[in-house]
Amino acid sequence: MSMVEQSTVNKGLFTYRGSNYTVLVLSLLGLLFSLLVYGIAKNTSVFPQAVIDSFPFVETINDAQKWMEENIRHITRAISDAVRVPLEWLEEVLWELPWVFVLLAMVLPALAYGGLRLGLLAVVGVCFWGMVGMWYEAMSTLSLMAVSVSFSVVLGILLGVLSSQSERFEAFLRPILDTMQTMPAFVYLIPAIFFFGVGAPSATLAIIIYAIPPVIRLTSLGIRQVPATMVEAAQSYGSTRAQMLWKVKLPQALPSIMQGVNQTIMMALGLAVLAVFIGGGGLGEQVWKALTKLKVGWAFEGGIAIVFMAIIFDRLSYAVTGVSSGKMAHYGDGPRFYLLPQKWDANPLARAIEMPIGVVWNAFATVGIAITNYFAKSIKPLSPGFSDWLAPKPFLLIGSLILAVVYLIGPEVKWMNSYPRAWEYSIREPIDFAIDWLTINPTFIAVTKFIRSFVFLYLLDPLDKFLVGLPWWYVMAALTLIVWVSTNMRFALTTLVFLIFLAAAGLWEISLFTIAGTAVSVLICIAIGVPLGIVAAYSKITDAVLRPILDAMQTLPAFVYLIPALFFFGGNKTTAIIATVIYSIPPVIRLTTLGLRQLPPEIDEVSNSYGSSTLQTLFMVKLPMASPSIMLGLNQAVVMALAMQAITPLVAGEGLGKEVYHAMNVANMGRGLAAGIGIVLLTIMLDRLTQGWTKNQRRALGL
Amino acid sequence: MKSNKTIATLAGLGAISISFAATPAQAGGVLKSAVNDWTGGAVMCEIVHQIAEREMGFKVKRITMPSGPGRDEAIRAGDLDYGCELWPSYSTTIQKYVTEYGGDGSMLKVSDSGVVGVSSYYVPKYMVEGSDAKAPDLKSWKDMNKYASLFKTLETGEKGRLLGCPTAAWQCEDNKRMELLGLNYTAVELGSEAAHWAEMQAAYKRGEPFIAYAWEPHWIHAALDLVKVELPEHSEEKWPATGWATDVTFNYANPKFAEDHPEMIELIKNFRLTNEMQAPMIHAIDVDGKEMEEVVDAWLADNESTWKAWLPATN
Repeated sequence: MSMVEQSTVNKGLFTYRGSNYTVLVLSLLGLLFSLLVYGIAKNTSVFPQAVIDSFPFVETINDAQKWMEENIRHITRAISDAVRVPLEWLEEVLWELPWVFVLLAMVLPALAYGGLRLGLLAVVGVCFWGMVGMWYEAMSTLSLMAVSVSFSVVLGILLGVLSSQSERFEAFLRPILDTMQTMPAFVYLIPAIFFFGVGAPSATLAIIIYAIPPVIRLTSLGIRQVPATMVEAAQSYGSTRAQMLWKVKLPQALPSIMQGVNQTIMMALGLAVLAVFIGGGGLGEQVWKALTKLKVGWAFEGGIAIVFMAIIFDRLSYAVTGVSSGKMAHYGDGPRFYLLPQKWDANPLARAIEMPIGVVWNAFATVGIAITNYFAKSIKPLSPGFSDWLAPKPFLLIGSLILAVVYLIGPEVKWMNSYPRAWEYSIREPIDFAIDWLTINPTFIAVTKFIRSFVFLYLLDPLDKFLVGLPWWYVMAALTLIVWVSTNMRFALTTLVFLIFLAAAGLWEISLFTIAGTAVSVLICIAIGVPLGIVAAYSKITDAVLRPILDAMQTLPAFVYLIPALFFFGGNKTTAIIATVIYSIPPVIRLTTLGLRQLPPEIDEVSNSYGSSTLQTLFMVKLPMASPSIMLGLNQAVVMALAMQAITPLVAGEGLGKEVYHAMNVANMGRGLAAGIGIVLLTIMLDRLTQGWTKNQRRALGL
Repeated sequence: MKSNKTIATLAGLGAISISFAATPAQAGGVLKSAVNDWTGGAVMCEIVHQIAEREMGFKVKRITMPSGPGRDEAIRAGDLDYGCELWPSYSTTIQKYVTEYGGDGSMLKVSDSGVVGVSSYYVPKYMVEGSDAKAPDLKSWKDMNKYASLFKTLETGEKGRLLGCPTAAWQCEDNKRMELLGLNYTAVELGSEAAHWAEMQAAYKRGEPFIAYAWEPHWIHAALDLVKVELPEHSEEKWPATGWATDVTFNYANPKFAEDHPEMIELIKNFRLTNEMQAPMIHAIDVDGKEMEEVVDAWLADNESTWKAWLPATN
C-alpha cells in the first residue's frame, strides 16, 4: 500500500465533505428564503395573460400544418410508399417461412457467436412467441424492427460520419437529436398518419425519428476518438481523406458504432407499443388490446415477448461484432445468461443437467468442423481464397445446410411449418390469479394505501402547492441562479429563455407540476435505488437476483405494468409517480453498484488500518468516492422520468405530458407541440443541471 | 462501375415495386377497415368484414387502432376505407369533417349503426341493494349529496370523488355539472379508458364505494353489476346541468371509397345491429372468453335470414 494512494483517499474525502457542507448550508438558506417568499406571496403567481395572448405559437403551428397538408403531402406519401415495399415484403416472407426456419435463423448465429448459453436463450425467446400464441404478431414486429433499424443504421452512420467531419454540422445536429430523443411520440404520431398513412410505414418513420440519435452520436464520437497516432501513421503512408475514413477510422470506430446500433434497437423496441396509435400492429397491438380489456396476464405475455426480442437482439448484436458490452452502463452490465451459476459446477445435479447438453454441443461442433474442413479441402484447388475464408468458420457451412434443409422440407412437415397448437402454453392465468389475489389482499392494499398517502400528503402535494404558490418571476430567477451556479452563465441565460417560452405558451403551471412530479419520482428512485445498489455491491446473490429484474424493467413496455399499478394504487397522481419510479430506477441502482465496485480494493484495507468499521468505510470513504457515478445515475433517472411523461397521462399523471395527450385527443397539433417542446426544454435543462453536479462532484474529488 | 450497376438495378426494382403498390385495388377488391378497440365496436365491424369476405369477394384488411382523431385522419386520407360505430357525443372531429355536423365532408356518414348509446353515472349494485348496502337511497342525482362523504378521498378532501370522463377531450364537463347541480363532488379524470375501468374493477373487487361515469352498451356491465344514477333529462340549453343525449352511433367511410364501391356502401347502409343483438356477443367474448371470430361466425350461422337481407341488390 503506497502513500500516494492513501493521500488520494484522504484528499478526496476532505474536499468532498468541505464543498458538500457549503452547498448544503446554502441550499438550506435558499429553501428557507423561498418558504418565506411563499408565505408572503401565497397564490399570486399568475403569468401576465396579455403576454400569453400575444404569443401566437399554437396558431402559427396549426396554420403551418394546414399548409403542409395541402402542399407537401405528395412528397411524404411517396416516401412512405417506398418504405412500404420492403416492409410488406419482409412481413410476408416472415409469415410464410416455416417457423422452425425462423427459429434456427435466430438460434444458429447465436450459437456460433455467443456460444451455447446465448443459443439456448434464443431458443427460449423465439419459442416463447409461439408458446403464448403470438407467433405472427412477433413476425410483424420483427419485420417492423428489421426495416426501421436498418434504415436508422444506414442513415445514422452516414449522418454520423458527416458530423464527425464538421464541427458546424455537429453543433447544428446536436439540438435536433436532443429534441428527437425527448419529444413525446404522441406529438407527431397523429400528424404522421396524415402525411405518411396508417400502419407500419408510418410506424417505421416514427421509430426512425425516435431511435436514430444514438447511432449518429456514437458514430461521430467513435470516429473522433480514433487515436491521433493511428491517423498520423496512415497519413505517412499517403492515404487520402476518403481512404483514411473508410479503411482506418470507420473500422476503428466499430465498437462505438455498435453500441449506437444496440441502443437504437432498444429504443426502437421501446416504441413498438406506442405504434399501435397509428395502426402499427404486431406485438404492440396485443399489449394494447390486453390493456383496454384490463387483461394483465395477456399484456404481460405480449410484454415478455418484446423483452425476449430485445434481449436476443442486444446480446446477439454484441456477440456478432465481438464488442464487449461491459463498457456501457445502461445495458452492458446486464446478465450474460449463464445456463447455471458457475458456483454450482460441483453440484452433481447441475452437472447431470449440463453434461448431456455439453456432449451434444461438442458433438455438433466436432461434426461441423469436420464437414467444413472436408469441404474446404475439396474446393481448395478450385478456389483457394474461398476455401481459406471458409475453413475457420465451421458454423457457417453446417448452419446454412441446416437452414436450406429446413427451408425445403419445412412446408411439408406440419410441426415445422407453423407453430403447433399443442405446444402452446399460456401463462395468462397464473399472472391474472396473482394480480387478482394482490388486488383484494387487505394487508397488501393497506401497504399500498400507506405508500400512496405518504407520497401524496408529504411529498407531491406540498411540492405542487409550494411551486405553484411562489411568484412566477421568483421561480424563474431561482432556477436560473441554480443553473448558473451548477453550470455556466451562458446556459443559465438559455434556461431563462426556456422558462419564458413555457410561461408565454401558457404552460407555466403545468410545467411546475411536471417539475414537481419529476423531482418526487427521482427522490424516491434515490431513496430506494441507492440502498439497493449498495446491497448489490456487497452481496453477489442480491446482484444476481436484481440484474434480470432490472433488465426486464428497462425493456418491458410501461403499458404492461400500468394496469397492475392502477389496481394496487388506484387512479390518482401517485400511481403515475409509481410507474415513473419503476421505469427510471434501474440506472440509479446499477450506477451505485458500479461506482462502489469500481473503487480500488485497497481502499478497504487503508480504511480498516485506520480502524474504521465496514459501515464507516462505506459512508465516510466509499460512498463519497462513488458519488460521481451515483450522480450519473441521478442524471439518467431525471431524463427517464421526463420521458415517462409521454406515458403517465394514461394513468392520471399531471403535467406537460397530459397536455400533449389531450392535444392529441382533440387533434390540436400546435398545443401538443408547445407542450412537447416544454418537455424537451425541461429535459435539456435538468439534464445539463445534473450533469453539472456530476462534473462539480468529480472536480471536488480531484478526478 | 459494378456498384453503380447494382444501385441502378436496385433503384429499378424499387420503382417497379412502388408502381405495384400504387396500383388501385381492382373492383370488388380490398376493404381497409378501422377496427374498434372495444368489444362491442369490434363485433360490429367483424360482422361486416365476414359478410364482405364470404358473400362479396372482398379481401378485408383489419387495422386495430384506438378511436379518435388519428383514426379519423386515416379515413379522411383514404388509408382506411371504413369505420364503424362512431359515437357523436365523444368525437372531437365530426364537426370538422362530417357534413351532417357542419364539417367539410371529408368523412362520409353512411348510416346509423343501430346501436344507441346511453351515458350516465353509475354505482355498484352492492351499494344500493342488500342488507349491508351503504347508500340504499341513492337513486338519482338528488340523493348524491347525502352520500358524498362515502366517496371522499385524499385528493378530494371533504368532497366526494366522482370518476368522471377519462379525458377532457370528450367534453363531458363533469365538474361544471357538479357545480351547476350544487353537488358536493369533485370529478377526476384518469386519463385513459383503460385506467377508468381498471379503477372501477379494482374498487368493485374490494367492495369499496365508488361513483363513476360509464355508458351502455359496454363490456364493463358484463363484468360488474352496476346501477344507474338518474340525471336530469338532457337539454341543449341547460347542458351541462343535465344528463347526456342518447348517442345515435353511425358507420362512416371515406367519400372516394364510397364512390368506387357503391355495393359496399349499400351493404353498410342496410346493416343494422341493435344493443340487444350486440349484448349477448359482448358477453360471450368478455365474460365467457370466446374468440371474437368464433362468436361472430356463430351469430352469422344463426341469423342467416337477417343478414342475407342486407346484401346489396346488385350482388
